[in-house]
Amino acid sequence: MAGKLKRFRDGLRRKIRSIINAMFRKKKDLKIGIYGPVNSGKTTLANRICVDWLGEELGIASVIPHETREIQVKEKITMKADGKSLTFNLIDTPGIATKIDFENFLKYGIKRKDAKQRAKEATKGVIESIKWLDNMDLVMVVLDSTRDPINQVNITILGNLDARDIPLIIVSNKIDLKSSKTGVIRNAFPSYRTIGISAKQGNNMKDLYKSMLDSLK
Amino acid sequence: MNIRIKLLPYERFKRDRFKAIVKDLKENTIILIDAKLSMEEELNLIKETMRSITGSFTGIELSSINSIDKKMGNMDKFRNMLVERIIGKKRGMTIIGPAKLVQKIKKNPEELLLYV
Repeated sequence: MAGKLKRFRDGLRRKIRSIINAMFRKKKDLKIGIYGPVNSGKTTLANRICVDWLGEELGIASVIPHETREIQVKEKITMKADGKSLTFNLIDTPGIATKIDFENFLKYGIKRKDAKQRAKEATKGVIESIKWLDNMDLVMVVLDSTRDPINQVNITILGNLDARDIPLIIVSNKIDLKSSKTGVIRNAFPSYRTIGISAKQGNNMKDLYKSMLDSLK
Repeated sequence: MNIRIKLLPYERFKRDRFKAIVKDLKENTIILIDAKLSMEEELNLIKETMRSITGSFTGIELSSINSIDKKMGNMDKFRNMLVERIIGKKRGMTIIGPAKLVQKIKKNPEELLLYV
């Protein structure tokens, strides 16, 4: 009940904001950000969207944590679904974390010197991600549906988007895996719209695209 | 290894801000604050932590609980919110510890469990 009320309130707030924006704002490019904890599949999702609508990838996805250490932007993506269309800039951000230990990278065969450099770049990446938060028109918070969603990083990201009144969609990623539990994410954050997808396999992307269009129209 | 636990009033946290907190964390101090930090404060603490990361200080574990329980009735929630407005801070509790020391913080809505 509380979740439905919140969604209704947020929808109403977005509608009012979009009317005000349309009246006073100069036409600007919409920015859709991909946020989330480390290794949740943010770049895989960004690549999937870019391949689906532009035919080319955005960045390199990897199992090694903090592969994306700089903000990556793909401009002017036009998406079409249900007779509606939307042109936006897609921003793939480095994963947000509260700790970064260079020794963790050594397990992946990275040399000590390179691991230290990677950790240094990763810390800067987290700061950049946070700085960009205020610029977004819509954020997709990508969570790994095989992991426990209740952790401080997720709560802090969602809470800050909520406090800034930025529309958001929770993307429950990796639904192709057996241990995936989108229901757990929905129960953990009932106030937000959650879409289960597999960015790697392309499962359920249509629902996500529809949801993106609904969130901005 | 010496471990210190610092109990910090929220007013002092607001005055000292993040650099002093991170300095304490780098010296193996677990910090307990008598309020729930705001979302903005949590984000700023993460930023300051990232600026301070070295080989020996790898970051933090952080968790907080709210004084407003989901199971509370609307009247109790309202009363709690009113008290927070009057005293000017969010009630509840925040625990912050250095990641090398604190393995994890388990949270259920009403309590925090620290694994050191």
